[in-house]
Amino acid sequence: MDKAAEYILEVKDVCKYFPGVTALDHVSMSIPYGVVYGIVGENGAGKSTLMKILSGVYEKDAGTVIFNGETVEKTTPIQALRRGLSIIYQEFNLVNTMTVGENIFLGRFHENGGMRGTHKKARELLDSIGSTISTYSMVGDLSASEMQMVEITKALSFDSKLIIMDEPSSSLTSEELKKLGEIINQLRSKGISIIYISHKLDEIFEYCDIVTIMRDGHVIDTKPVGELTRADMIAKMVGRTIENEYPPRAHFVGEPLLEVRNLNTHKLHDINFTLHKGEILGLVGLVGAGRTEIIRALYGADKVRGHQITLGGKPVKIRNPKQAKNAGMALVPEDRKREGLILPFSVESNITMASLDRLTHMGILNRSAEKDIAQRQIDALAVKTPSAATKVVSLSGGNQQKCIVGRWLELGPKILILDEPTRGIDVGAKYEIYVLMNKIVEEGGAIIMISSELPEVLNMSNRVLTICDGRITGEFEPEHATAEEIMDKAIG
Amino acid sequence: MKTKSSAAATFLKQNLVLCGIVVLIMVTAILQPKFLGAANLTNVMRQLWPLPFIALGMTFVIIGGFIDLSVVGMISLVAVVTVSLIDPLGQVGAILVGILLGALLGYITGTVLTTCGAMTQAEVLFITYGMSSVYMAIGLIFTNAETLRIARCTKPITIFNALGSGTVGIIPVVLIVFVVLLVIMHLFHTKTLAGRAISLMGGNKDAAYLCGFNVKRSMRMVYTISGVMSALGAISLVSRVTTATASCGTGYETNAILCVVVGGTTLKGGKGSVLRTMLGVVLITLLGNCMNMLGLSTYMQTVMRGAVLVVAIWLDNRKEL
Amino acid sequence: MKTALSKIWKVISKQKAVLAILALLLLMLMPQTRAMFYSSSNWMEMLRSAAILEIVAFGVTVAVICGGCDLSVGGTLCLGGIVTVLLINAGWPIWLATLVALACGALVGFVNGFLVVHQKTEPFIITLGMGMLLKGVCQQLTNAHPLTSTVPAFMKISNGKLFGSIPLLVVYMIVLFVLFFCLLRFTSFGRNCYAIGGNYEVAKYSGIKVVPIKWTAFIISGVTATLAGVLLSSRMNTGNSVYGDTTGMMVNCGVVIGGTSFAGGQGGMLESFLGIFVIQLLSNCMNTMKVDGFWQKLVEGLLIVAIIGADCYSRKRKRERV
Repeated sequence: MDKAAEYILEVKDVCKYFPGVTALDHVSMSIPYGVVYGIVGENGAGKSTLMKILSGVYEKDAGTVIFNGETVEKTTPIQALRRGLSIIYQEFNLVNTMTVGENIFLGRFHENGGMRGTHKKARELLDSIGSTISTYSMVGDLSASEMQMVEITKALSFDSKLIIMDEPSSSLTSEELKKLGEIINQLRSKGISIIYISHKLDEIFEYCDIVTIMRDGHVIDTKPVGELTRADMIAKMVGRTIENEYPPRAHFVGEPLLEVRNLNTHKLHDINFTLHKGEILGLVGLVGAGRTEIIRALYGADKVRGHQITLGGKPVKIRNPKQAKNAGMALVPEDRKREGLILPFSVESNITMASLDRLTHMGILNRSAEKDIAQRQIDALAVKTPSAATKVVSLSGGNQQKCIVGRWLELGPKILILDEPTRGIDVGAKYEIYVLMNKIVEEGGAIIMISSELPEVLNMSNRVLTICDGRITGEFEPEHATAEEIMDKAIG
Repeated sequence: MKTKSSAAATFLKQNLVLCGIVVLIMVTAILQPKFLGAANLTNVMRQLWPLPFIALGMTFVIIGGFIDLSVVGMISLVAVVTVSLIDPLGQVGAILVGILLGALLGYITGTVLTTCGAMTQAEVLFITYGMSSVYMAIGLIFTNAETLRIARCTKPITIFNALGSGTVGIIPVVLIVFVVLLVIMHLFHTKTLAGRAISLMGGNKDAAYLCGFNVKRSMRMVYTISGVMSALGAISLVSRVTTATASCGTGYETNAILCVVVGGTTLKGGKGSVLRTMLGVVLITLLGNCMNMLGLSTYMQTVMRGAVLVVAIWLDNRKEL
Repeated sequence: MKTALSKIWKVISKQKAVLAILALLLLMLMPQTRAMFYSSSNWMEMLRSAAILEIVAFGVTVAVICGGCDLSVGGTLCLGGIVTVLLINAGWPIWLATLVALACGALVGFVNGFLVVHQKTEPFIITLGMGMLLKGVCQQLTNAHPLTSTVPAFMKISNGKLFGSIPLLVVYMIVLFVLFFCLLRFTSFGRNCYAIGGNYEVAKYSGIKVVPIKWTAFIISGVTATLAGVLLSSRMNTGNSVYGDTTGMMVNCGVVIGGTSFAGGQGGMLESFLGIFVIQLLSNCMNTMKVDGFWQKLVEGLLIVAIIGADCYSRKRKRERV
């Protein structure tokens, strides 16, 4: 029988919708036995959603999944595991306060003959992949690679036929990575299939047999690795931009406004950059590369080891958000619901909360001025809300975001920092935010923008800094540079 | 018409405990006509203190998203210090020192919390409990656990007498003082920046911080308010019972929390108002009174209060945003 | 050298209780108290006086390890004693009365579990309210007067000595300690508790039935507290509604002092045992030093603030790492 015709996993036309977003659009892929199958794509391409459907965290909205010849309709994480499908997430799914052995057999303490049996079987499994970690050590005390070993061992303990590794290398040193490669080869030789998800294309070329490229919830291409070049792959990941998705680029760059020198924290190393008046500066990097940390440190929200900031030629000290605000900075944070909005409060209070101290005379708030501000921003930004008194939680994502932007626009900030300004927002609202950004720079403000959507950064910014592992790795003018070049630097 | 009835349903859902108590009071009023009689109401008005003061302070702490168990210690300590200072400083001096002491104690609690970085309700709960023990112990050491009587003071105690039993017409003096204070605190909460900052902090600490609010200062402020209110409560308590012991504040913390929660201020922080708390105070006091009228023991009242507290927190938790 | 030192520090800092005991022992080296403090009868007495709190703490530890907290144990303890004495005085056999009391404790735990685990309320305030409710029930049952048992046999449960030297209460404590130690260490229930407290989501995805197990933890906490209440009443031959006034707070603090964190998933019976023991040791050494009761209260309060504050502070430092 033709071995290649047999698949451990077949995914056919799987769709998944989230409110306002199609996360997966008729995704199909087939994974043979005993191969390492790579999946690449930008942040938000739908890789993680697909994996969560396979492992039973999410339910699919349409399509079929056939695992090991058996059609899987609904599954729970534990059923998926027992069926032989394990997933190793980027953030480890381990209980840090328990021992290695117990983590491997978590929830199966009894069926493995108590403490002694658990540790004995765990030892055998760890030995089988050549690991020397003590089964009695606490998971919290292990290094990242050791935790990964534990996760892999846990997968093996379920007799897994398919192991999904989501960004397995993101926290590994190169030495540890080599070891991971050995284990992957070992697993493959045992006939176990592996889905290897990574941003790091070098690893894909090194380990994978077949690769699927995803973008915006679609499968773009599936090919044996040998038939693809790095450049092809990046081109397919980045894709072509659709016309008219973005307004024409603004060109108002003026003299230097903000200079940041030697910004250091435990995650950032020697960050230096300059921001000009009327400029949109994009920060590009993978999730966790240090983009958010840079702007939080700049804004005074996190503590820093040391930095010098010059604003308009004068050195300024920014130790907390209040000083940042007074210096003319404004931050639209990444997590709208956790850090930006006060959800149970009205649209009005959410809009006015930053400008309250300007409406105060002898400590007394000017309520009518407050109402004016809220109404002015609601009108100016066309926030769709029944009234200013509506609770902000009932608004759509785009309108919520406009409330936060409006909050800061009222202050007329010199520097507006936007962290993922269009996340979870539908296309129409995105466009409005882009137009708004252009208007701000036209009026002389400067914008620092972080986005995981590369096309967005490329089409909006005047200048792009790539960030990798807490360092600035490159500077580009997106008008002249290609997406491939930038992606290359951001991946590191 | 339909929207009106659904609005009523929402109101009912949001204020289930409140409505339940109102019904209970109405039932009592029907069963016991004396309940709403002038004699009984005067009696209630006299027995009310110092709970309204404590609940007023507690409201700010809870709106700010925290909780304060240290009121027990603060009331006790301020009560004994104030009474013992009447002779050396005179009544005005004693009261002023008492209020300042309350502010200081509250400020200390707040500072301890901000310094430790206590953020969750669990941490705050335990630390304020510890502070409460400390304050109460200081009071015990100070008085040697003896009962202090204001009647034994040689200096005039007219203010205490007025607060304790004085009336203007039929309205007790202490009620007038309280209403003035209530109005001031309500205006403080709704009209001033500092008051708004407290609400915003309770709604979302991170968002308030990133918007340039000094969250730590607001935190110290709510505890200072709670301290001042505890001090005023202690003075009203001393005036009413004319004695002070170093454990006289026991039990007021849970009662104050009860009033705040029943009034509809959510323990999650952010939403609430001092006026609603007053509604809670009135209802809880009337509830106690009507159980009295129905012949239930004081112990059953504790049971009822505990049950109402548990149910109120439970329903509060089920409420949507 | 430096790494060795830091390793040692790591071990010690995890065992705050050990550190505290060492500190107190040093304190005890002061000559005037030494003789009294080191006598064996004093130690036995100390263990006996710690026994009730320890037993309560065993149950609470299970709830705390699951990521909960139970402040209602004071009321539950009080209720247990009163129910037993009431029923015995009404002519019920002792074993049946005790059983009914334990059932009451289980019911309290069940309700706590329902509110905290099933309805997902914040455990701290809700159990505090529950404690207040129970206190009221106790006062109602006894009319706030001490209730003396009329059956002499009841007293014998906790007053007596094994082999003429070991108080029975200490024996019970040791038996329960071993029982709970094994429960947490060697049964799948115990290990699942750790998993739930350590990482709720991971436990859920690993197929552990998180809700029933956490719920059971609250029931265990309730039952143990009632058991402690029965023993206390037997020791005093009285059911009294003032018992357990500070128990809830002291036990939960003691558990945290031992190193069982409210974050859940950490600690264990030994840690809790030591944590409570430190509190008892402290009050005992203040007693032998003839420290005034009020000063003892002051030290207790400062201890709570210091320990919980230090816990918060270490988390804050971690959060704000530069």
